[in-house]
Amino acid sequence: MARGRILAIKWGMNPNSSSLGVDVTFLLVGATALAMATPLIGALLRWRKAPVDPAK
Amino acid sequence: MIGAILDRLRSARGMRRARLEAFGAIVHLAWPRSLVFVDRVMARRVTRVAGEPAIWQGSEPAVGERVLSAPLEAHLQITNRCGAGCQGCYTGASPDGAPGEWGLAEWKRALDELAAAGVFHVALGGGESASVPWLGELADHARARGIVPNLTTSGLEGLDALVAIAGRFGQINVSLDGLGPTYAAVRGFDGFARADEAIRRLRAVKREVGINVVVTRHNFAELPELFAYAKQRRLSEVELLRFKPSGRGAAAYRDLRCTDEQHRAFLPTVLAATKRHRVRVKVDCSYTPMLAHHSPDRALLAELAVYGCTGGDFLVGAKADGRLTACSFMASPPERPRVTELRSYWERSDAFGAFRTWRTAQEPCASCDYHELCRGGCKVVSAHVTGDASAPDPECPRVQAHRPRVHLPVL
Repeated sequence: MARGRILAIKWGMNPNSSSLGVDVTFLLVGATALAMATPLIGALLRWRKAPVDPAK
Repeated sequence: MIGAILDRLRSARGMRRARLEAFGAIVHLAWPRSLVFVDRVMARRVTRVAGEPAIWQGSEPAVGERVLSAPLEAHLQITNRCGAGCQGCYTGASPDGAPGEWGLAEWKRALDELAAAGVFHVALGGGESASVPWLGELADHARARGIVPNLTTSGLEGLDALVAIAGRFGQINVSLDGLGPTYAAVRGFDGFARADEAIRRLRAVKREVGINVVVTRHNFAELPELFAYAKQRRLSEVELLRFKPSGRGAAAYRDLRCTDEQHRAFLPTVLAATKRHRVRVKVDCSYTPMLAHHSPDRALLAELAVYGCTGGDFLVGAKADGRLTACSFMASPPERPRVTELRSYWERSDAFGAFRTWRTAQEPCASCDYHELCRGGCKVVSAHVTGDASAPDPECPRVQAHRPRVHLPVL
């Protein structure tokens, strides 16, 4: 069975009411660190299915 | 340590939400705080989707190839009242506020509409949002609708009331554009001590407190010290914002905007400060051209959802009278619908004008390797400098390198 892919992760929450803030700390540690984090996020996602809203 | 992580996971489990998109789905994780974009196959595995959703008919596009079904976040200017009088204020806030400002009932209806559209987060701002007496009630309403409320404050007004309700917000950032006299040089008055007090008091009751720094030519050299300050105060993040020529900032733009040399040095300066002081850093969408200048891995940028102008797509704004904007910095035409009509306006082919026509870019954006991510840079800066919001960002180092050089005749 195909596992599917995580396409992107937008980290954190943006309190700034004027523009979209993106966490660029990963640019410091590079793709390797992100590649290590992605499977952990995948495991968290599979831990419990999320309800979908609204109906699309 | 492991026990604390498990506790956080358990408490966050019930706060999980997902929204279907043409490429698959976006899943909101409360811990670690993130929005995770997944393809259709994975969406079937991690969400409670049944059958074949209408939004999945047809080919599966890449993230960013089509406009999202709704914004990720909405920026609500819940008031334009503020007595600080900052010289570069992008909303032109004043003690009197704006005509026709909405009250609690209207903003609650706005949150109902945003929740129905599937928006994940709201960022509440002003004016001085902390001076609004019903701020806590509005935050509660957002939570009740499954939306995480976040907040920006100057820390100059309403601090006692804000400290009491700080726990209701996801993230709170205090605007801090410099330390000591630099604060006054950027803002036009000495408010550092009060902003610092607000940061200390908020951090005493809440872990997720950071600072927003509008980067100008006057505080650029002080960025490492600002990171050191954030580390000293045990703040969760530093968010760096490019100065925009909007509101009173339009008149102050030439004096406050960073120099071209500073823009080219932005990324290495920020990453060096992050590495040295070990503080998370976020940058606003308008900085993407300055990141692209250093040719970072495009795939990595995409995986981090680092995009340029996503106004009218990933984000949407609403003025103090509820009128929709693609981005808070952009003026809203009088005929623009209110945020309570978001879903119907979102589907219009002409919605948000130049913010959605970035694919038909002029050179050098049209042939730039980063255009799919950057989307032409900041449209507010383009509109102010060139008179055309769809023109390439004139502060982008790549755009500047592309300009024809004028050779003086040899006599």
